[in-house]
Amino acid sequence: MIEFVARRAFISAITLLLISLIVFTGVRMIPGDPARVLAGTDADTAGLEEIREKYGLNAPLPLQYARWLGLAVRGDLGESIRTRTSVARTVALKLPITLELTCLALLVALSIAIPAGVVAAVRRNTVWDVLASGVSLCGVSIPNFWLGIMLILLVSVRFGWLPASGFVPIAEDPVGNLKRMLMPALVLGTGLAAVLMRQTRNAMIEVLSADYVRTARAKGLAQMAVVVRHALRNGLIPVVTILGLQMGALMGGAVVTEQIFVLPGFGRLIVEAVFTRDYPVVQGVVLITASSYVLINLLVDLSYTVLNPRIRVRGTADGG
Amino acid sequence: MAGSAASPAYPLPRAAEASAPGSGLLHRAWRVGRRRPAALIGAAVVALFVLMAVGAPWIATSDPVHTDWAKIRKAPSWAHPFGTDDLGRDGFSRVVWGTRISMQAGVFSILLAMAIGVPVGLVAGYYRGALDQVIMRLTDAWLAFPFLILAIGLVTILGPSLTNATLAIGLGATPTYIRLTRGLVLSTKEEDYVQGARALGAGDLRVMARHILPNVASAILVQATVAIPTAVIAEAVLSFLGLGVQPPAPSWGTMLNAAQQFLEQAPWMAYWPGLAIFLLALSFNLAGDGLRDVLDPRDY
Repeated sequence: MIEFVARRAFISAITLLLISLIVFTGVRMIPGDPARVLAGTDADTAGLEEIREKYGLNAPLPLQYARWLGLAVRGDLGESIRTRTSVARTVALKLPITLELTCLALLVALSIAIPAGVVAAVRRNTVWDVLASGVSLCGVSIPNFWLGIMLILLVSVRFGWLPASGFVPIAEDPVGNLKRMLMPALVLGTGLAAVLMRQTRNAMIEVLSADYVRTARAKGLAQMAVVVRHALRNGLIPVVTILGLQMGALMGGAVVTEQIFVLPGFGRLIVEAVFTRDYPVVQGVVLITASSYVLINLLVDLSYTVLNPRIRVRGTADGG
Repeated sequence: MAGSAASPAYPLPRAAEASAPGSGLLHRAWRVGRRRPAALIGAAVVALFVLMAVGAPWIATSDPVHTDWAKIRKAPSWAHPFGTDDLGRDGFSRVVWGTRISMQAGVFSILLAMAIGVPVGLVAGYYRGALDQVIMRLTDAWLAFPFLILAIGLVTILGPSLTNATLAIGLGATPTYIRLTRGLVLSTKEEDYVQGARALGAGDLRVMARHILPNVASAILVQATVAIPTAVIAEAVLSFLGLGVQPPAPSWGTMLNAAQQFLEQAPWMAYWPGLAIFLLALSFNLAGDGLRDVLDPRDY
């Protein structure tokens, strides 16, 4: 097991290094003087010189990269051109909003996907299965930003049940916060629910035909106990993998969801940064998002050692 | 073996399967279509969208960028079945022309991803070793960027336009094809017919192009079919955020962006472009599921 953990951590470290290299190269590909790119068009000569000094822009590229990486590892991602505040601080302020949104979306997705996937598998080839598969296909195909607009139209404009936009911190007004987060979480969670539902269904179909499930049935256990206690626990293992891989889609989805519902999170920050050509912020957000994705997937892989005892014994992940 | 001629232990191929491969494929397509009518409907709707994209100049009832101040935000009517937008432009014509842009972005971005991903995956899977390791680590790093975040990053560098959005979506989808192709090549290159070709003296290029590629093509094609709707949605999202097609060009994403500002006064502006994206994505997904059954007999 230690070998598996060490190997996985080593691969993740290499991936993180390559991500930083891609981001560094990306910013250098923006036409113009890198100092001007990082300091903004209205920076004076002193400001430009400060940036050149900080990032060693007169040094060869490998040295520039090493210096930039050293600063990034210490949490110094530069300064926002627009607000002149540190990028790390700006991101830290916005991150809780996006985290709350993604956690709620995850909750929505899991509470739809797992029961529906299990029902579709247990009642395979019945009307429930067809219905669940149909809903799942629609969920994958529906653009979440359009779903958001339609929900605003129906729930806020037509019935006036929930506010269409805005954000209230949860510490200030928990009810108001939830009222404003409900629709965005539903919009962001739908696509994920559709993917997870398919995965749960397929995994459960496979598990339900396994010998140990047949044995559990033969013992006279009730259907509910067989499904929940024996099948679901094993059926959820591949679902966890997909969940990890889908975190990228969730983060990307958060960008557009925050835009529609005017939530001042991480996603809205990057879009605003693109329009104001605030490259340090774009660079910081992209770097943090990709790094988080790698770390989340590392955690998912490591969670196998808890979920799947075979890995603990063999010391290697299935198929990997 | 003597008895096998009189009473074969394996089922003899039926007439349709024994004939030319094309007709076998058609026969299987027909069987899949009969078993899964939804896939047939999906394929028919995709064909309709293709027709709409190609025939936009003849199908659209008016100029999609022509503004008419006397017809601002008019509800659907016989003259304007999808209503008009905030600049008095005909909604139906804009949706029809938007098909062309969405199809263009969806198909070309995936073609680009395949054009880069398939050869790179082929080389990585065929040669293995250090080259494979370098390619795969880079692919892993590339895959770590969430699709939309990567596209936003690339559009920031390249500037917002349809071409750059297509390029960004294509580059974002490329690692999937590298991984898929590599995985398929790894299993295919151990097959007897590949070993046989090598034993007969075929060079690496010939083995890859003539023996491996044709056998992995169907799985790649299926992946492409299900990736197109994602690319279509990605283009719409980028345009919605103002990072793709720029106004006044009729894109479903930019139309939804405009519609969001007039939800109370003109909700119809939001119905049609979104419905079009949904229908196109759903049809591609349905057709893709059917295509997988046609091309992959193991799943059939």
